[in-house]
Amino acid sequence: MSRQHAPQLAGLVLVAFFAIFPFVYSANDYPYIMHLLITGFFYAILASSWSMLAGYAGQFSFGHMGFTGIGAYTTALFCHYIYISPEATNLCTEYAIGGQFLVFVNPIGVTSSTLTQDCLREALALWDGKVQVTPMPVWLGISLGTIMGGVFGLLIGFLVLPLRAAYLALFTLGFSEILRAAISAEIAITRGQAGIELPYLFDQGITLFGREFDKTDKLPPYFVMFGLLLTCLAILTWLARSKFGLFVRALREDQDAAAALGVNTTRYKVMVFVITSMMAAAAGAVMAHYIRIITPNNLMILQMSLVVAMAVIGGVENVFAAAIGAIIIEFTLELLRNSFEIGPVVVDMTIWRLVIFGIILMVTLRFSRNGIISPLINYFLRGHVAKETVAKRVAGGKSSETSS
Amino acid sequence: MILWGVVGGLVTRRIYLHKDLDTSNSVFVGSMLGAATGPVGLAPLWIKTPEVNKHLMVWPAVGAVTLIAFAFAFADPSNNCVSNGSFVASQITNGIILGIIYGFMALGLTLIFSILGVVSFAHGEFYMIGGMVTYFVTSVWFPGIYPVVGIFAACLVTFALGAAFERMFLTPMYEGKIERPVEYGILVTFGLAFTLQYFIQATVGANPVKARRFFDFPRLRLPSAEDPWLIKTSRGNMELFDTVSISNPRFVAAVACVLVLLSLLYFLHRTWTGKALRAVSLDREAAAIAGINPDRMNMLAFALGGMIAALAGALLVQAFSWLPQVGAIPAMRSFVIIVLGGLGSLPGAFIGGIIVGLVEAAGTGCVPDAQKAASYIPAYGMIVLTLTLLLRPTGLLGRRFSGGAHGKF
Repeated sequence: MSRQHAPQLAGLVLVAFFAIFPFVYSANDYPYIMHLLITGFFYAILASSWSMLAGYAGQFSFGHMGFTGIGAYTTALFCHYIYISPEATNLCTEYAIGGQFLVFVNPIGVTSSTLTQDCLREALALWDGKVQVTPMPVWLGISLGTIMGGVFGLLIGFLVLPLRAAYLALFTLGFSEILRAAISAEIAITRGQAGIELPYLFDQGITLFGREFDKTDKLPPYFVMFGLLLTCLAILTWLARSKFGLFVRALREDQDAAAALGVNTTRYKVMVFVITSMMAAAAGAVMAHYIRIITPNNLMILQMSLVVAMAVIGGVENVFAAAIGAIIIEFTLELLRNSFEIGPVVVDMTIWRLVIFGIILMVTLRFSRNGIISPLINYFLRGHVAKETVAKRVAGGKSSETSS
Repeated sequence: MILWGVVGGLVTRRIYLHKDLDTSNSVFVGSMLGAATGPVGLAPLWIKTPEVNKHLMVWPAVGAVTLIAFAFAFADPSNNCVSNGSFVASQITNGIILGIIYGFMALGLTLIFSILGVVSFAHGEFYMIGGMVTYFVTSVWFPGIYPVVGIFAACLVTFALGAAFERMFLTPMYEGKIERPVEYGILVTFGLAFTLQYFIQATVGANPVKARRFFDFPRLRLPSAEDPWLIKTSRGNMELFDTVSISNPRFVAAVACVLVLLSLLYFLHRTWTGKALRAVSLDREAAAIAGINPDRMNMLAFALGGMIAALAGALLVQAFSWLPQVGAIPAMRSFVIIVLGGLGSLPGAFIGGIIVGLVEAAGTGCVPDAQKAASYIPAYGMIVLTLTLLLRPTGLLGRRFSGGAHGKF
């Protein structure tokens, strides 16, 4: 077992640890820790996909949170406004499909929820419990959200084609702000700042490993998010190691040179946007179903800065480092959430932790540009390369000495 | 019309590319001409493909804007900003006044960009700190002191902060130690913004504060006290021609901005240091050969840029209530303005500021649903940004090739 295999081994141990953890751990704060882990996985998906976009492809986009918002809002609106009913309501817009009716609920906004009912509620009141309507399946909403994220990624990818560095950052920031403004302003549809509620990830509960799980249990969403993270990491690794990864890195280093050498720059630039934004959208959609409410504030710059900081501190040029960094930082941030007193001064750590975090971000950037975790991985993976080179050089020097 | 604009933009570029001509402005000209005249104007453009000059740039754009305004007036004749003349006048005045302040703030950002090649993401935080320092000096620590002292304190604090940050974190950029300096600059200023915002929130708290008015208008009634149709002032407000009403804080801020702008122009064009700054922004290496220390100019530019933002904040703290998060929207607006004006162009930033001020005034005044219009305020600027980047990425007065470490965008 050489040192090179240490990271792979550590990775396997880590995956095994996270897979077993929920079954073994049984302290009082079990739900809290589980919640932290789910959030950590969510940020890990975002950080690793962002590191593919920014670290590998060099596209410093600040619109990543916007894509999670698109995913989350697509599934939220889908589950909120579309139902399947066995009978015609005769009030809503509806389409007959087979024996069923696809009902589109009319948007009524926020203020009127107690005064006026939407058409489906009216119809339900008329039926008086005789007819059961089925909401749309959650997985369909999540897939739609992911596809929508991809569509927007395609659009943004094409729009930012001629832009580089600062322009790209500003444009994507602008995209995410327009999205946020639009969502907060269109109160009639998105319910604005009041937020839109979503059904549970598993509304009927689920049987897993021979155990019944209630819809409020943390374990099923934990594994959904964990699975999504592993899938994303697998896709990203595969991409990074394939020709795609090489092309994309060539793009980062010098777009014109890459184009001259025959890389279809347009195609790969757009592709990297589509793939990473689909990942962000999928993560956003699952997270929205887990938290069960989504507000425009989820798209705030603060969230984006968290993702950026996690990826940078972990290591922006390594998707695994970014993911691990995200989980660790999410934990540290949460565990620092208590205040303490130094003499008469009460230090409120809920805010100071973010100050410390910002300083760590700047110092990491300044002194260790590849982040903190990525150099560790590289030390194990590539450490022997330097040693071998030195050994070869020494050997070469000696041989030249003997020959002379 | 929009269709013709899009068609014009896309096809014109293709045709110019096909004929091996300069395509840099063809998208802009094509889309504007298409939007203004439709196929009638586009056909000769496509056939003759003249060299793009100033006339061809300006007139189609003016035509397109006029056409949009007329189309709007016909589509919604009962709208407040079609039927109500005095409303339009006051919106325009307010737009210009706000635009001056916006432009002034963006000036700091464009100064930083033109010399360091970095878009400072901490600009909004400098603005916020400027306001906070002024508030604390004038209202909390020394109530009753001259507001000018507060403003000076704000300038001093942010200048020192900017200089220290530049020395500590931006210096490795210049030595070629970093592979991608532009991205490094973005990320590290982003980190600074994050830190400063939460530092202020941790020390000051998240409750909004507001400074008192710096000074009151003298009581004026012109031309006569009975019929003050020309100008009428009260302590906090000024009314011109019985129609346009300007609030005191904004007026004071705008006037102060113009004064500072003039002194800044004097500094940049008449003093040795200012000339050195501009020289570095034009060509770094040549300036170094001529005996200017570019590193020192970098520090000066970053500190000065931050100070300008802080000055804008210090002047506006009397107009708006102040929070640690208050910098985000002005920062975003400054980004829009400097892209619109052309990254690195000082007059461009000012003109861009006034345009954005007018667009925001039009957006808030003319969109029928007032509540929605207010929620969309941050989006108007972003729409301007998107259009600029699509149609004319160099901005209004942008230099095609800016010097220094940044070369291409």
